[in-house]
Amino acid sequence: MSDAVTRPLRPARNWALIIGAVTAVTLMTWWSGRGIRFSLTELACNLPGGRRLLVESWPPEFSFFPRLLAPLLETLQIAVVGTVIGGILAVPVAVLAARNLTPGFLVWFVDRNFMNILRTLPDLFWAMLFAAAVGFGPIAGALALTVFTVAVISKLWSESLEAIDMGVPEAVRASGGSWLQMLQFGAIPQALPHYVSYALYAFELNVRASMILGLVGAGGIGMVLETQRSTFEYPRVTLIVLSVLVIVLIIEQVSESIRRRLI
Amino acid sequence: MTPGTTLQPPAGIGWATRVTLVIAFTFLICAWAIDLTPAALANLPRQMAMVLSFFYPADMDYGWSRVLPALLESIHIAWIGTIIGAAISLPLALLGARTLFPRIARLVKLISATARAFPEILLAIYFVPIVGLGAFAGALAIGISSVGMLTKLGAEVVESIDMGPVEAVQAAGGSRLLALRYAVVPQVLPEIVAHWLFRFELNIRASAVLGVVGAGGVGGVLLNTLRYRHFEKAAAVLLLTIVVVLIIDMMSGAIRRRLLR
Amino acid sequence: MIREAAIRFEGARVVYPNGAVGLASVDLSIAPGEFVVVVGSSGAGKSTLLRAVNGLTPLSAGSVAVQGQPVPRSEGRALRRLRAQVGMIFQDFRITRRLTVMTNVLVGRVAHVPAWRAMLNLWPAADREIAFRALERVGITDKAWVRAGDLSGGQQQRVGIARALAQEPAIILADEPVASLDPVTTHQIMRDLVRINQELGITTVVNLHFLDLARRYGQRIVGLRNGEVVYDGRAESVTQEDFRHIYGRDPDAGDVLDGQAAR
Ligand SMILES: Nc1ncnc2c1ncn2[C@@H]1O[C@H](COP(=O)(O)OP(=O)(O)OP(=O)(O)O)[C@@H](O)[C@H]1O
Ligand SMILES: [Mg+2]
Repeated sequence: MSDAVTRPLRPARNWALIIGAVTAVTLMTWWSGRGIRFSLTELACNLPGGRRLLVESWPPEFSFFPRLLAPLLETLQIAVVGTVIGGILAVPVAVLAARNLTPGFLVWFVDRNFMNILRTLPDLFWAMLFAAAVGFGPIAGALALTVFTVAVISKLWSESLEAIDMGVPEAVRASGGSWLQMLQFGAIPQALPHYVSYALYAFELNVRASMILGLVGAGGIGMVLETQRSTFEYPRVTLIVLSVLVIVLIIEQVSESIRRRLI
Repeated sequence: MTPGTTLQPPAGIGWATRVTLVIAFTFLICAWAIDLTPAALANLPRQMAMVLSFFYPADMDYGWSRVLPALLESIHIAWIGTIIGAAISLPLALLGARTLFPRIARLVKLISATARAFPEILLAIYFVPIVGLGAFAGALAIGISSVGMLTKLGAEVVESIDMGPVEAVQAAGGSRLLALRYAVVPQVLPEIVAHWLFRFELNIRASAVLGVVGAGGVGGVLLNTLRYRHFEKAAAVLLLTIVVVLIIDMMSGAIRRRLLR
Repeated sequence: MIREAAIRFEGARVVYPNGAVGLASVDLSIAPGEFVVVVGSSGAGKSTLLRAVNGLTPLSAGSVAVQGQPVPRSEGRALRRLRAQVGMIFQDFRITRRLTVMTNVLVGRVAHVPAWRAMLNLWPAADREIAFRALERVGITDKAWVRAGDLSGGQQQRVGIARALAQEPAIILADEPVASLDPVTTHQIMRDLVRINQELGITTVVNLHFLDLARRYGQRIVGLRNGEVVYDGRAESVTQEDFRHIYGRDPDAGDVLDGQAAR
């Protein structure tokens, strides 16, 4: 026990960083609060009307339900088509974006950026674009979900592909196999369960998204929602929202239980 | 959601083929039902090429004067939504951890699951009449759905921590609150803040679409430009959105990596 | 009895919710300033005995008193006040790895400062002084401002000891404090504990797995078997026969640290 050991001084905190971060967050919050016109007075003025609307939206208008069946079915069809086409297209996009499998740097670089750009735009933007291109209707929705699916699966799956054990793929190459054979026998089988899991996950997201694509004219239940909403038929809006929630929850439960069994 | 790396033994080729056939069959029926025929598909490239040709050149004057402010509004919505989500979800995440509060946790998890069930845009549909058309409604919608998600993720982080230090603080005579302060929060905070940042990235995308129901942001602008077929203006919206989202993703990603190091 | 016992068990019994008997019926009295080593095979009830002292594991029947005061059965202010006088050291250290060594040691002061100060990490100078002295006693003053997780195992255990010392406790409980350390560090830590006991007169109860350590460092040895005290005597006088009785079998090489059978 030496009394000679001097007590170290507490290292100076990085005050510049701390103060900088706190100031930045505060300023950003203040600026954003102004930007969205956060105002309690306006809130107070609107509340009575809003309350009336909320009261009106309950109970849901159940008699409207029969007219929802066809659009709900269409919504699921859009989700299926988008997931299947997108799921197939995602395979090459993911493989080329996996650092360990890609045939060349340039391909990897282009593909990776392509993937990232796909991911930046939200699903509803794609829906608007395709609705403008091919006209209002379910096809626009299916195409939008195709793009969205490619974005989701390729990003996740390329990461799984990068994590595989390269022993077998390299052995296939060493014994004279082509690049495609290396993929087919060495790489893809290892990451196949992940692929299935991500595809199911994408399907869940797509069912969720397909319910609202119609808001911009891309088919399905969302289109009914948009008409009822813009004419303030809130009892019907509530019914639609509830049906959407029920279907989404059911699909998610089923898909999640399959996924859990897979991995 | 990073699955393990174990590969299940294939359950026989017949099984896989059957599943593939069922999926293919379902797909064909669905495609047929929504009129996605080979002919329609064949037409697609031409249609897309035509529309895309209208997109050029992007009307950047419109971009700077109208789109940028709208994008900024989307960022504001996402930021306030994230702040609301973070502030409310932090205590809820602690309360929602089975390992800390076995009884309250179930209730908290139920609340968080309910909040997560609603897509932001459906919440916005209700908030617009309540608080008025505009960004405030959007921020509230995003805030609520962020609370749901962040509570769930946060509670999972808390449940995964080493409970030893918690008991140690209590063994030194500390209250449960102090155990949270010195044993739980320090262990979970970096990961939770990383989740906040990640949620902010998601919220930017979500707030971009809320304009569709009148809840502010860039979505309404895109909807209008496309509706009136001002494709050069729509091009400006898309271009600026992509650039801004990429920049924010990069910044947030860099901070997240530093946090978790 | 003139002097009050530091710890006194009377008919203490612990039955866990799943029916496992932790302590069958223990009568044991430990005098102030004693250095007691508790030995016994795995599952004998050593941890249960220690954890009953500070109420981490409540008794099902009987009583345990610390300095004459009965240990409350339920969490609350009274139990916290009692715990403040009892420092505990754990096999797995139980320090918060992301906090500095200093903060970890200051946690030993939580029950001695106003709650708001502890909450805000605003410790009075006197308490910082106590924390520093605790660090000096275990010889890691130079590490005061290092992240606790960046220390070696032995150093981390010293943080744990310093935290217990910072409580200025009347009693220190150590549950297999050296079980996750290498032999050299083990002896250093055991010497630290003995020295603290001698210099500060803190009553110390240590659970140990190794017989040679028990005999070498203990003044008094308590043997537990199936939740009952089956041996209680001076460390010098413990025999091979006694160990056989405590363990219900011949002690072998696995029961001693230095790999040689106990004499
Ligand atoms: N939390 C618990 N729940 C149920 N039973 C327990 C619990 N903790 C201990 N037990 C049981 O109580 C008995 C005594 O356990 P205790 O942990 O006190 O033994 P120990 O002597 O410390 O053993 P070791 O040397 O392995 O640490 C054992 O039979 C054990 O299975
Ligand atoms: Mg034990």
